[in-house]
Amino acid sequence: MPRYSPTVVDHFTNPRNAGELDDPDVRAFIGNPVCGDQIMLTARVTDGTVAEIRFRAHGCAASLATASVVTEAALGATLGEIEAWDDERVEALLGGLAPDQRHVAALGRQVAHRLVTNHREGVDDDAPLICA
Amino acid sequence: MELAAMLGCPDVAFRQPESEWEASVTAAMRGAFAEHAEHNAFYRAQCEAAGVGAEDIDTLADLVKIPLLPVRMFKQPDAHVLMTAPLTEVELEIRSTGTGGVPSVARRDVKTVSRVMTAIFTQYREFFQVGKGAGLFLCPSTAETPEMGMVKAFNVLNGLLDDHAYIVRDYAFDPEEALGQLDKWEESMTRHIIGPPFLVGRLLRYLELEDIALKLDPESLVVTLGGWKRYTGESIGREEFNAKIEKYLGIPADRVRDMYGMIESNMLAVECEHHRKHVPPWSYISIRDVENTDVELAPGKTGVIALMDALSTGYPAFILSEDVGEVDHTPCPCGRTGQTVSFRRRLQGAELGCCAVSIEKFIDSQEIVAECEIPAAAAPVEG
Repeated sequence: MPRYSPTVVDHFTNPRNAGELDDPDVRAFIGNPVCGDQIMLTARVTDGTVAEIRFRAHGCAASLATASVVTEAALGATLGEIEAWDDERVEALLGGLAPDQRHVAALGRQVAHRLVTNHREGVDDDAPLICA
Repeated sequence: MELAAMLGCPDVAFRQPESEWEASVTAAMRGAFAEHAEHNAFYRAQCEAAGVGAEDIDTLADLVKIPLLPVRMFKQPDAHVLMTAPLTEVELEIRSTGTGGVPSVARRDVKTVSRVMTAIFTQYREFFQVGKGAGLFLCPSTAETPEMGMVKAFNVLNGLLDDHAYIVRDYAFDPEEALGQLDKWEESMTRHIIGPPFLVGRLLRYLELEDIALKLDPESLVVTLGGWKRYTGESIGREEFNAKIEKYLGIPADRVRDMYGMIESNMLAVECEHHRKHVPPWSYISIRDVENTDVELAPGKTGVIALMDALSTGYPAFILSEDVGEVDHTPCPCGRTGQTVSFRRRLQGAELGCCAVSIEKFIDSQEIVAECEIPAAAAPVEG
């Protein structure tokens, strides 16, 4: 298997939904304080469905691609559907990950779940929470 | 000398007569510049805007024309535009996170990794002449921090030794464990200490407080990398550091060697026994005027450090750093030629950004957490 899946290469090179929404309904921010991987999502949610979403990310190529892939998959999805995602689901969206890249699947899943939780609880993250 | 010859024969490469060194460095930079200008659309646009091409680089004085990339570009989310090589060719992503928390990521392709590993290995042999002994690494292992540039550079040194121990685990440092390990190697191996200055400093502080004076071995080295300023802003004084090493570890100052580098560049400047950091001849350091970084300052003048590196094929490693220092072209008593570099400080307003700062900050935060931990309830007394 090549070190980066074609999906990771594609999303790293041509990121989708990059940026930050003005006045979003919800903001979720997850980061690893040691390695520095960070993903922040901002979204607008209409009738329980993600109507608009953007990301800002810092870190390795796989984590940048993860942020892009997560926004693409979340757009049009219901919050319930996103809540059902697990690490395997995110890894599948990325077309597979090398062993040393698998931490980004957890990062992607956690920031997506955080988006759902924050929307439900009406809170926003201003600084990155520490991911597992 | 050609680049490949320099990497293969460091003893000759580091001792080229001045005119040959100038020609070798210029040719290496011209070749790297031509590759990036041709194959990197983003960088080509910079070159076109500056009106410079490889044909304009004839002498050392022309290197100032090569467009530089500000180092903060490596922190940007769209840093993929910096790449000359496609992601499929990238083998290692090396990163550093400073006090700001946003990582700087340098993506090295296969060819660059091969060259850099050779270069660093070669420099360790050239400057330390080490090929055996045991290394007490006062840093995390590469298993724990696989993408941390400083640890990766130290790990190459590990390959030259017979035994090693990484003393920082889960971002905790136990000086007693370090002493236990040194004790275990006594009488069987030459003991070397490798780590960022602040962690060597922690070991020294422990020895001082406990009033323990060790006498390591005649060939022992202390090798440091990672900067002399703590994340708190406090500086570690080099003279005092050397004196304490002599007093508490029994290693003379000429065997205490610091190095200078940055993860975005492949250049590692290693100190000789005269404490001058030699810039390898596959790299060039250009000191720029703080007020106008297009202007190169003469050797001896203090300004912004620009690192130019001919090893990189993954991205144009012609980088304007946020470090301030100077270069020296005068002959070094060690006999090596070319440039030596002295780092003075970070540019005003620049964050403290390096692997060592990140490790120290995290160790301190772990210690604070541990100190604040509520002790477990005492077991009931039997009776």
